[in-house]
Amino acid sequence: MEMVIAAPPAPGRLEDLKRRFFATPFQALLSLISLAIMVFIVWKLLNWAVFSAVFTATGGPEACQAAAGACWSVIAARWRIILFGLYPFEEQWRSALACVAVVVMTVLSCIPAFWTGRRIALVWGAGTGLYYVLMKGGLLGLPYVGEEAWGGLALTLFIFVTTCLIGFPLAICLALLRRSDLPWISRTTGLIIDGVRSLPLISILFTFAIVLPFALPQWLAGDKLYRVILGSALFFSAYQAEIVRGGMQGVPSGQEEAAMALGMSYWQRIGRIVLPQAMRNALPATINQFVVAFKETSLVVIVGFFEILASGNAAYGTGEWRFAYVEVYAFIALIYFVFVFSLSRYGAYLERRMSVGER
Amino acid sequence: MNSTQSSGPAVHIESLDKYYGTFHALRKVNLSVERGERIVICGPSGSGKSTLIRCINRLEQHNGGRITVLGIELNDDVGNIDEVRREVGMVFQHFNLFPHMTVLENCMIAPMIVRKRPRAEAEATARRFLEKVRIPEQAAKFPGQLSGGQQQRVAIARALCMQPEIMLFDEPTSALDPEMISEVLDVMVTLASEGMTMICVTHEMGFARRVADRVVFMDGGEIVEEAPPEEFFTASRNERTRQFLSQVLKN
Repeated sequence: MEMVIAAPPAPGRLEDLKRRFFATPFQALLSLISLAIMVFIVWKLLNWAVFSAVFTATGGPEACQAAAGACWSVIAARWRIILFGLYPFEEQWRSALACVAVVVMTVLSCIPAFWTGRRIALVWGAGTGLYYVLMKGGLLGLPYVGEEAWGGLALTLFIFVTTCLIGFPLAICLALLRRSDLPWISRTTGLIIDGVRSLPLISILFTFAIVLPFALPQWLAGDKLYRVILGSALFFSAYQAEIVRGGMQGVPSGQEEAAMALGMSYWQRIGRIVLPQAMRNALPATINQFVVAFKETSLVVIVGFFEILASGNAAYGTGEWRFAYVEVYAFIALIYFVFVFSLSRYGAYLERRMSVGER
Repeated sequence: MNSTQSSGPAVHIESLDKYYGTFHALRKVNLSVERGERIVICGPSGSGKSTLIRCINRLEQHNGGRITVLGIELNDDVGNIDEVRREVGMVFQHFNLFPHMTVLENCMIAPMIVRKRPRAEAEATARRFLEKVRIPEQAAKFPGQLSGGQQQRVAIARALCMQPEIMLFDEPTSALDPEMISEVLDVMVTLASEGMTMICVTHEMGFARRVADRVVFMDGGEIVEEAPPEEFFTASRNERTRQFLSQVLKN
C-alpha cells in the first residue's frame, strides 16, 4: 500500500497575518491599538519633518518660528559651518575636496582588486598626501591653514581614517608579540594592552594633547592634532589586538604546521596562512571596532577640536538659530548614519565574500 | 644551490631523546633510512611514532641525540631547518589544507614563495601533480568542497609540488571514511613504485606488506623491532609485536 503525505499548503499572506495578529478578539484589539499608535507617531514625525517644515533659508529664522514643523532652513543657512568648522570661508572648497579624497581613498581600499601591498600603499599614500596638502596649503599657491583651524566633517574623517591606518597595523604587531614564544615579550605586551584598555579614551586623549608636550622636546612633540591621533590609534590598537588574537586562536595549529613543513618562513606563515584566516574569524568584531572608532572621534572636542558634532553645536549656537538644535542634530545623525551604515554593509559583503571556501 | 649531499643515507637518527615536560616520549631511538627506501612505522597509540617523524622536519625539537637529513644536521641553525623542510614533504592525518585557497593555490603557494618559482611554472607543476593524484578537475574548488579522500590526495600533491627528496606520512588514512582509504593508498603505492623515499606512520598493514622495505615497530618511545615485511608479519621475534599484530590484523 502506498501512502502519499502531502506537506500542508503554505498559508497565504492574508491568512498568515490573521493567524499572527487577529487570532482572538483580545489579540485583535491589542493589534489595532498598537497599529493606531504607530500610525500616529509616523504621521506626527512626517508632519514635523516634511509637511509643515520650512526648507529654504530665504525667510530667515523668523519664517521658521512662524511655522509649526521642522526648520530645515538652519541647515541651508549653516551647512558650511557643520561640514567645515572654523576653516576659512573662501578656502572651504579645499576642505570639501579633502573629504572627497579621504572617502575615495577609503572606498578604493575596500575593493579587493587593491589588496596588494603596492596598490594599497599607493592609495593610502596618495589619499593622505592629497588630504594634507589640500587642508594645510602653503604650497601650489594655496594659502596656509593651520591644523587648529581644521574642523567639521573633514576633521572627523581624517581622525577616523588615520586612527585606523595607524591603529590596525599596530594591533596586528601587538597581537603577534602577545603570542610570542618568549614569555617576557608576551607578558610585557599583555601588560601594555591591558594597561591601555583599562584607561578611558578621554584620559588618553587628554594626556597626549596636554601632558605629553611637557614631557617631550619641542621638535618631537608635533602638532596637537597628530598627538591626539596617535593616542586614539593606540587606544584602537589595544582593543583590535585582542580581536586579532582571538581570530588567530581560531586557526587550527595544523595550519601553521603544514606551512612550516612546506618550508615557509615565519612572516610567510603569518602573512599568507594565519592572518588571512584569523581576519576572517575576527571580521564581525573588527567591523564593530571600526564603528566604535568612528563614533568616538566626537570625543576630540574635549581637547579643543571642532569635529563635526562640535561644529554642529557652533552652527546653532549663535543667537538667531538657537531654537533649531533638533534639526542640526538630526542632520549630523544622518551623516553619521550614512558612514556607519555603509561600513556595516561593507562588513556584511566581506563576510559573504570570505565564506566562499568555508569548511 | 642546495648543499644536500647526493650520497649517504636519506635520514640518519642516532640515540634520539625527546621529552614533553617530564614525559620521556622517545628513548635513544636509532634509525637509518637509505635513499629510495620505504619505511612503515607502526605501534600502539602513544608509542612515539608521530613524534619520531615530526622530529625529522623539526616540527618537534629533539632534546638529545643527532638527526641528519640528506647530510644536513638538524640543530638550532634556522638555515639548516629551512633547507631540510624544503626537501622533506609531509602529509598529515587531518590534511591541513589551507581552507582560504583553492586546490590549485594550495599546490602553488610554497613553490612560488619558498622556491621562488615563476607563477606559470608553479601552475604547470601543480596541474601535473593534481593529474598524478587523479583530481585535475577539482583544481578550482576550495578544500571544504572536497571529500576527505580527495583532500588527502590534494595534500599529497601539495607536498609533491615542492619536489621533495623525502616524503613523510603521519597516519594519512586514519581520519578517512573506510571507502576512501584505498584511493589515498593507491596514490602512495604509485609514489613508492617511482622510487620516492617514504617514511609512513600507518596502521594499514596491507600497505606495509605491499610496499615497505622495512617495517619498524615502536612501543613506549622505543623501536622494539625492525624487519622486512614478510619476516615482520610471519616470524616476529618480540612478544609485544605479536600482541599488537594480532590486535591490528583482527580487524
